[in-house]
Amino acid sequence: MNLEEYRIGFATGIMVLMLIAAVPSISLYVSFPSGERFSELWLLDKDRGTEDYPFDVHEDEPYSIFVGVGNHMGESSYYLIYIKLRNQTQPPPNVVASQPSLLTPVSEFRAFVPHNGTWEAPITFRILDADVDGDSAFLSRLSINEVASPVNASALWNPKYKGFYFQLFLELWRYNTMSQSFQYHGRFVGIWLNMTSS
Amino acid sequence: MGALRSSFFFSILFLVMVHPIVPVVYSEISETEVVSALTSAEEAAASAFVAVLEAERAGGNVSKLLVRLNDAAEGLSKAEISYRLGNYEAAISFSAISSGICTGVRSDAEELRLQALGPKHMQVWLRMIESVLGAAIVGIGGFWSWRLFKRRYFERILRMKPEVSFDES
Repeated sequence: MNLEEYRIGFATGIMVLMLIAAVPSISLYVSFPSGERFSELWLLDKDRGTEDYPFDVHEDEPYSIFVGVGNHMGESSYYLIYIKLRNQTQPPPNVVASQPSLLTPVSEFRAFVPHNGTWEAPITFRILDADVDGDSAFLSRLSINEVASPVNASALWNPKYKGFYFQLFLELWRYNTMSQSFQYHGRFVGIWLNMTSS
Repeated sequence: MGALRSSFFFSILFLVMVHPIVPVVYSEISETEVVSALTSAEEAAASAFVAVLEAERAGGNVSKLLVRLNDAAEGLSKAEISYRLGNYEAAISFSAISSGICTGVRSDAEELRLQALGPKHMQVWLRMIESVLGAAIVGIGGFWSWRLFKRRYFERILRMKPEVSFDES
């Protein structure tokens, strides 16, 4: 190696070391990738487990579940959770296209969750007015946390699974500070309820 | 005098008769009023959240503010549900509770942001000084190392004895 080649090697080494020394300042203006950002939405049974969800439901009986939200969006988030009810022919939210269900919410929760934090709330629901007429079941009112709401939902007899099925599902929406509005966050969870014996 | 007395008597009688009706008339809440109260409460919650986010980005600990915001959120949810069920009085009442909490949170968040900005500015300056000092030490150290290396390189060259080789072929 001649002197010129040594000189280039030295200059390159010094430049690299100077860049490393400047990292504390550079990090103030350049954001490095911080992993995947996402939110979680879950439903638990009355014992905060996943084994005893209500399924066969009866009129005027209370059923308890828990809804939870986990925030991994890199900063605090403002969430809105809609509780909706649908039958087997009504489409669920489209997660791929990030389209919420068009059904009217029965109830709602709002929560402010810190980054890497969770939020949980109990839900006690009760079927208040249900009727079966031939191969159709009608659900007029549903109570969520002791607040009765009209739902006016109906379900046809399912001959394959032998029952009248409704799905109680929850949609997760998140407040977008840029658009200053809530946007569907592409998450929903639900439980199927069989009203045959109610 | 008689006319004055009788008009006073009838005024009192009118007020006594109207009294039970007046609160009913004034307590009737229009949908517009409820929607307006709900919109204000939603805006208050959103602006309080934005203020909390700014405080968080400035480095402040916002956990207590989020707890208070969750109380406001509960009130706002109850207000929305009450409105959907046609219970306008409850909707207005819950909206007012929520708005009140949010207004307090917003002003506290702004204060927290200002408090957090001081240490953050200090941290920025410290990092800048750290970087400049680090780069300067590396630069000066590199320059002196290069000079030392160059001197030794020439000394090594000068110490070399030229040898004459013969091609025996």
